[in-house]
Amino acid sequence: MNKVILEMRHITKRFPGVTALKDVSIQLSEGEVLAICGENGAGKSTLMKVLSGTYTNKDYEGEIWIDGEKKEFTSVRVAEECGIEMVYQELNMMLDASIAENVFVGNLPGKGRFVDYRALYANTEKILNQIGLKISPKEHVRNLNSGQMQMLAIMRALRKNPRIIVMDEPTSALSDVEVDMLMEFLNTLRKQGIACIFITHKLEEVFRIADRVVVMRDGQFISGRPVKEVEQKQLIEEMVGRKVENLYPKETVEIGEEVLRVEGLTVPHPTILGKNIVEDIEFTLHKGEILGLGGLVGAGRSEVLGAIFGQITRGVKKKVFVHGKEVTINRPKDAIRAGLGFVTEERKRSGFVWVLSVRENLTLCALPNLPKKYFIDRKAEREKAAGMFGRLRVKAPSLETIIVNLSGGNQQKVVLGKWLLAQPEILFVDEPTKGIDVGAKAEIYKLMTELAKSGISIIMVSSDMPELTAMSDRCLVLSNGHITGEFNREEISQENIMRAAIAQ
Amino acid sequence: MENQNEKKMQSGMSKAVKALLQKPEMGTVLPLAILMLAVAIVNASFFNMTNILDILRTAGFSFIVAVPITFLMSSGGMDLSIGAITSFGGVICAFALKAGMPLPVAVILALAAGSLVGFLNGVIIVKYALPAFIATLGMQYVVNGIIAITTEALAISGFSDSFKALSQTKVGGVVPMPVIYAILIGIVGHIVLSRTKFGRSVLAIGGNRETAYLAGINVRAKQIMVYTAVGFFSALSGILIASRFATAQPAAGTGTELTIMASVIIGGTSMFGGQGTIIGSALGCILFAAIQNALIVMGISTFWQNLIFGIILLVAIFIDKYRRKKGGEE
Repeated sequence: MNKVILEMRHITKRFPGVTALKDVSIQLSEGEVLAICGENGAGKSTLMKVLSGTYTNKDYEGEIWIDGEKKEFTSVRVAEECGIEMVYQELNMMLDASIAENVFVGNLPGKGRFVDYRALYANTEKILNQIGLKISPKEHVRNLNSGQMQMLAIMRALRKNPRIIVMDEPTSALSDVEVDMLMEFLNTLRKQGIACIFITHKLEEVFRIADRVVVMRDGQFISGRPVKEVEQKQLIEEMVGRKVENLYPKETVEIGEEVLRVEGLTVPHPTILGKNIVEDIEFTLHKGEILGLGGLVGAGRSEVLGAIFGQITRGVKKKVFVHGKEVTINRPKDAIRAGLGFVTEERKRSGFVWVLSVRENLTLCALPNLPKKYFIDRKAEREKAAGMFGRLRVKAPSLETIIVNLSGGNQQKVVLGKWLLAQPEILFVDEPTKGIDVGAKAEIYKLMTELAKSGISIIMVSSDMPELTAMSDRCLVLSNGHITGEFNREEISQENIMRAAIAQ
Repeated sequence: MENQNEKKMQSGMSKAVKALLQKPEMGTVLPLAILMLAVAIVNASFFNMTNILDILRTAGFSFIVAVPITFLMSSGGMDLSIGAITSFGGVICAFALKAGMPLPVAVILALAAGSLVGFLNGVIIVKYALPAFIATLGMQYVVNGIIAITTEALAISGFSDSFKALSQTKVGGVVPMPVIYAILIGIVGHIVLSRTKFGRSVLAIGGNRETAYLAGINVRAKQIMVYTAVGFFSALSGILIASRFATAQPAAGTGTELTIMASVIIGGTSMFGGQGTIIGSALGCILFAAIQNALIVMGISTFWQNLIFGIILLVAIFIDKYRRKKGGEE
């Protein structure tokens, strides 16, 4: 065993209302590739923010030791001085500058105010050779593919000669070939003695590259073993092994006839040219049913909903049948006419209009349904909005409150109410309880149950395993653009879903 | 005891003041009041009826364009070609009259030309997703170019009395027609923006385009409609200006694009979209016209105008930004 270079001891990080990390300890040795696995929200990224100094040592409890010496991480700079470099999920690059400029930005070589371009290109060339990339340092970043960009992000980290590189889901935007390149590259780094922490939920990659694997769940350390000693099945159980809390008021509803059928749905990948994120899938939805749509982040779940609803149209192929009759949906307006509603994942980006009041947001989708053709019948509008406001128990001073002043949970209720006022038969909900507190969560589940009882059919995309297993009547799992699992009520379990989600 | 009451009253007062400051139209009322006071001290003739009506008439020409611009900015757009379209409207109408067309035909032709330019702006910006700033700047040059080529930069004059009557008539022998037009257009604009489904949709588009689109609002069509309306009313303003001065100047509208958009922003319409007030825009236009007039009345060089307009505009933008922050947007 090589010598231990990093120890994180008993790290506890609290946010208002939640404990994101509970007494987590990990170790890292020289030249080791450590994989950290866990579901979305397990605390992996929070742990890495502690390590990078993004959360300063006053924000959490616990200690960080480097080379057997205790360090105070008071800022990102201290972490960098200790040789720790982060490679982030989002690639923030200057697209129209050269590779060399992107790598050395903030630290350009040269005298005084002038840049020494010859040295810049030579230095970049050196790093390019080190990682085995055959591109000119002068190439503009815009012309690179996403795999090369990911490498570039790593190069940026490398130029500071780090001892530990931390990568957060580095393969989420990469194609298979690019993943191969990255894996090879990690091997090169390992040979050079650089240690690497690799956050992922793709188990295949864990077995391919990592020396050791740590599983986290609900902010806790669950296990840490050499990869050679674990099996995939074990890891899955550890990642999901959690009791379903009594948060879910699911009631069995009589499932009626088919209301929605989708055939031949194909959606192009948003960032990778020539690849489809959803590939020729078909499924049905029945009256009163809550159909869960599971899978890992980036598996194409949101794209399925967006493409059916007409939010995404470019390159989409689909046949949509409502009550057995084919409908043409080229834009959201067509979808609403066909009886669909869509609570999107990003509340702030596509859920509400922040400058408008609760009332104005509530009636946004139902504007055409209000009496009078051109004018807004103020009394009718108020009545509709007030009815929904009461039904959803929105906690706000009044209907006239501007919506940004509400809590996330109450904003989400308003978004839901906005769609309900348009009286849809079919409701899409994408991560319906993302970022809202437990109380509001329970209310939203209760509402979904009520809706199902009243005959509304729901498709729910969720990364929250307990939510998915508890609320779904039937569950489809997407992986690599295909449906890799379909489970009925009795078969739904976190293990089954996870197994299908990581299937290739 | 008394002390406490006093405190309460004070905090009540400061609350009232804060609430007042939160009103979007406040950006104009305060400077307008200060200006009035300052001018009144220097030269009381500012307040005679003729002068005030003169200010209102000048404001009216701007306000006719400011109404659709309020819609446009509420929907998150902008238009730098309105000044050019204003000149264009006057020139087209003049050419048509000179060619012997009857007055109504000439007016309709000019309005149609303005609408067409606005429509093209809308299509270019919405369909081809070009930044409004660039597209309308380009359109400004195109339209000004056409005007320069056709008029050879010469003013056109010598109109019939019926054309001059459009602007020069005074209702009851006192109130100039442009003020009446502006009031009527303002009332209709206010009702459409605050009371109709169209108005609500415009605000929603400006507030959050994606949300509006997903809610089934026909975003593109609405945006193109607003750009077309901007073209229409700019041309109307140009016709009325030509009538007022009995001359169609090739540069009649030059520079108004900025003062009009500034008036609208000062009035409380957010330059980031989602909020708009016609009343505020009216006050904004009056403020600008009043400053212009006051400087003349006080005998201050007109060179000061730009400086003062600039400062007021910057302050207005700060207020807008501050209000946004208060509203919770990062």
